[in-house]
Amino acid sequence: MATAAQKKFIRPDGKDKVTGLGRYTADLTMTGMLHACFRYADHAHARIRSIDASRARALPGVFCVLTQDDVPDVRYGPFVEDRTLFARDVVRYEGEVVAAVAATTPEIASEAAALIDVDYEPLPVVSDVEAALRDGATLIHEGWSGYSASEDVVREGNDASRSTIVKGDVEAALASADAVVKERYVADMSHAVPIEPHAAIAQWQGDRVTVWSSTQVPYIARSGVATTLQIPEGHVRIIVPHLGGGFGGKCEFHYEAHVAALARATDRPVRLVFSRSEEFIAPDHRREGQVIELETGVMKDGTLVARRGRLILDNGAYSADAPFFPQLAAMHAVGPYRIPNVSVDASLAYTNTTPSGSVRAPTAPQACWAVEQHMDSVAAAIGMDPVELRRRNILKEGDTTATNQVLEPIGAAETLERAVELIAYGRELPEDEAIGVGCGWWPSFGGPSGAFVKLNGDGSGTIITGAQECGTGAVMALPILVAEELGMRPEDFSILAQDTDAGGWDAGASGSQTTFNNGRAVIEAAREVRAQLLELAEEELEASREDIELVDGVARVKGSPTKSVPITTLAETAQGDRLLLGKGSGSPPLTPDVDASGCTGRLGMETFAAPTFITHAVRVRVDRETGVCRVLEVAASHDCGVILNPVGAEGQVEGGVVMGIGMATLEGSIVGDDGRQRNPHLLDYKLQTAADAPPISIAFVDAPSPYGGPKGSKGTGEPPCVPTPGAIGNAIAQVTGARVHRLPMTPERVWAASHGVDA
Amino acid sequence: MSAGTYLQPASVDDALRLLAEHDGAALVAGGTDLVVGTRQGKRTLPETLVAIHRLPGLDGIAEDGGALAIGALATHDAIERSELVRGRWTALADASAIVGSPATRHVGTLGGNLANASPAMETGAPLAVLGAEVALRSAAGSRTVAVGELWAGPGRTTAAPGEMITGVRVPAPAEGSGSAYVRLEYRRSMEIAVVGAAALVTLAGDGTVADARVALTAVAPTIVRSPAAEESLRGGRPTPEAIASAAAAVHDAASPISDVRGSDAYRTAMIEVIARRAIDVAARRAGGEAVPVPATMTVGGTR
Repeated sequence: MATAAQKKFIRPDGKDKVTGLGRYTADLTMTGMLHACFRYADHAHARIRSIDASRARALPGVFCVLTQDDVPDVRYGPFVEDRTLFARDVVRYEGEVVAAVAATTPEIASEAAALIDVDYEPLPVVSDVEAALRDGATLIHEGWSGYSASEDVVREGNDASRSTIVKGDVEAALASADAVVKERYVADMSHAVPIEPHAAIAQWQGDRVTVWSSTQVPYIARSGVATTLQIPEGHVRIIVPHLGGGFGGKCEFHYEAHVAALARATDRPVRLVFSRSEEFIAPDHRREGQVIELETGVMKDGTLVARRGRLILDNGAYSADAPFFPQLAAMHAVGPYRIPNVSVDASLAYTNTTPSGSVRAPTAPQACWAVEQHMDSVAAAIGMDPVELRRRNILKEGDTTATNQVLEPIGAAETLERAVELIAYGRELPEDEAIGVGCGWWPSFGGPSGAFVKLNGDGSGTIITGAQECGTGAVMALPILVAEELGMRPEDFSILAQDTDAGGWDAGASGSQTTFNNGRAVIEAAREVRAQLLELAEEELEASREDIELVDGVARVKGSPTKSVPITTLAETAQGDRLLLGKGSGSPPLTPDVDASGCTGRLGMETFAAPTFITHAVRVRVDRETGVCRVLEVAASHDCGVILNPVGAEGQVEGGVVMGIGMATLEGSIVGDDGRQRNPHLLDYKLQTAADAPPISIAFVDAPSPYGGPKGSKGTGEPPCVPTPGAIGNAIAQVTGARVHRLPMTPERVWAASHGVDA
Repeated sequence: MSAGTYLQPASVDDALRLLAEHDGAALVAGGTDLVVGTRQGKRTLPETLVAIHRLPGLDGIAEDGGALAIGALATHDAIERSELVRGRWTALADASAIVGSPATRHVGTLGGNLANASPAMETGAPLAVLGAEVALRSAAGSRTVAVGELWAGPGRTTAAPGEMITGVRVPAPAEGSGSAYVRLEYRRSMEIAVVGAAALVTLAGDGTVADARVALTAVAPTIVRSPAAEESLRGGRPTPEAIASAAAAVHDAASPISDVRGSDAYRTAMIEVIARRAIDVAARRAGGEAVPVPATMTVGGTR
């Protein structure tokens, strides 16, 4: 249960953000600052014959133009080193950076970028994942075999990473099943669409550079700048001002090095601010398209006996963090169900499109959309209620997953029951409405993380952390956890964050990991401060520390509440000669061992550590004549372990549900045969608005995980967007009698499916 | 994004003089098309902007001898809220109420919407069925054109360089009339018409249709009327069958294109559905039923 303090503590950066007072990277100005503009590839695939920047350089106000010739010749990439800062010889997608300009105004920079003469020899464009993997397909990276790569990545030709999960005997099980259902689903590319587009400012002092950047992962950005510019990591400092969201789109290292290189070349601070269309085409972190083929064997009593899956994920032109996606998507192709015989094969195809990367629960909403609709089709094949089919197969404590992970106590079944109960599943509805249900799962990501906690002389506290706040609520959860340890109020603490020279290393706002890992770090740091306070209190209260407790802002002797001293007094006393300072990192939680000998392409996803389980039930109205769907109500039940920050957790669920509705119904990029996005702007890439958001009821199922984060918690940020599209698909199919096999399920596609039209 | 010169005249005469003096000058009021389009890279800003949003006396919404007189600077928000418009020129209120977002409606103007001449504009079809006339002024004088004569193509009008829309005059609908505008939209706010339709239905004392007008949005290079649908309705009773049959006749005027918002096949199918809904609401309003504004939020399966 939430404590009173947890309920009333509102994020301290909230008021600045909603009133417009918050200063984001694009709001910062440096004396003498120049403005950057990129020249992007003019083709999705072409060989560069020559680049002539003389006309651009001659434009008054232009300070410099950089290309790959002006920076160290370094290939980089987290799994496969397949890219360079600027295009080298070949451009492979429309948003690839060919050159960068620094000029006195954004307009001059833009004009100069257009004046750079690039002579291309166009190459065949591969924009379809299945075509990319066919024999004889144009290789996107001719020199791929020579690239350095993680040894665990299985790759060949245009397949950047292949992963399989094999368990039991699928052939035999399918042959003996009472019914077999085979389906094919295709998900389009979509995007993270943070409200703040990318921005970065770089300023050098001597041989050291400071970059203010809208990144979710400052330490990874620091490494990226050091690697690509060949300078020591200690010479790079990354600071993140207010961050206007990210959703994964600002993970990985992006443009910090380009801006730093411009700033070094011009001896001036340089600022880059993306337009909305750049935000769509350029960053290597869009949500990838997928082709998903599923075949499932089921017995008449609803027992699932076999699942075969073939998935092709779109890598785009370069490998960001996507090489671990095939294994992750394969896990989602099985889903949170007991299936004794499994064979899933997943590939990651290079194409001439914007590179893929982690976007909030990467691979899961798309794969789960297909699997959960497929589950309803399987239920229909044996005449069983779809909730009942899930009830009979959902994972429980002691069950073994497809990768032979034996599950700890989990609340998957409870989420199913709570969600259907909240939405009153089975009730009478108007003929144009239906309730759809979807289940999903998601791992937690344990890892190193560091923080310091100090108490100041006035009794206030500061949390100095490497964790990144991207809107997910670290600014709430961390003070709550520290305050609990010290008997203080969350409001007593400020946070110094997002400066790589100050905090301890952290993986950044990714993988739902901030509270999970940095929570552990701040608790450990707070415990050191607690010990220091107790030592001071021993002297003041003349009692032994075992008998002293920290409660309501005072240190007091247990059982004698009148014998107390305010923590502010202790802090003031300490100011003279002692430092009230704690440090923490803590050991990451254990990951359960699994025997995943049936898997290839193992990149760590064979184990779902401290897994979260989710069921969403949605009530949808479909306008049969137009195909327009409206989500009227959502019930969301989550097992994300022990809830540490209820306000934040509910916010994550609400936001994730609405994001899922967007992915389900409208959010998708339309890509032409030329590899270009046709709708890279917010008028025709339609997000949900506040007016579209339905009432959302939430039920958390408390299932503490022995492999979890602080107090048995699990990751919370990503799971809420996992099962919504599948649940909506199921509701649509119930109303119209026709399943939509393409994501997003736009009005036209719903209409076409239900009217038997090709679209 | 910047214009060379920004001029803010104090009167309509000043504005017209500045327009005449500066080659390539353009008017800006709310800027919801001009500025947004520039930011999207659809166009560059004109060399000279003549800002008219503060000109006095051009934002009126008033009854004038039975007709509705609306100044070019009246905002969509003001039109939507006007009891006068809602009561008798209801289709226009239906349209103004769903332009863009609340922010767009507070700064976007009727004159700007007309001058932008988008085939997907919301206020065009209602003004076409209501028989509106547009007042144009230039340094040389004034003239009036039927609203249907204003549009020349996507983004193009018949207004001469140096001419400015000063207002719109909409005649009083005949006794027994009702009107409505309905659009197909994919979400509840910040939307643009995929297709849309406006209808005006006038009922005779015996309940038959004395007059009917139907106009279509986003299915042709400009807003277009559908003579076949109108003819189909006249003289009969507005039964569901008659309305469906009239809606099926709109294809005479529709020549939709395929774009990222929908294929031509989908638009063709949808214009019939949306026209039927618009005619239905107009007929119900003509019969005295109070169908709430905006009709788009009221009808069909997405209510």
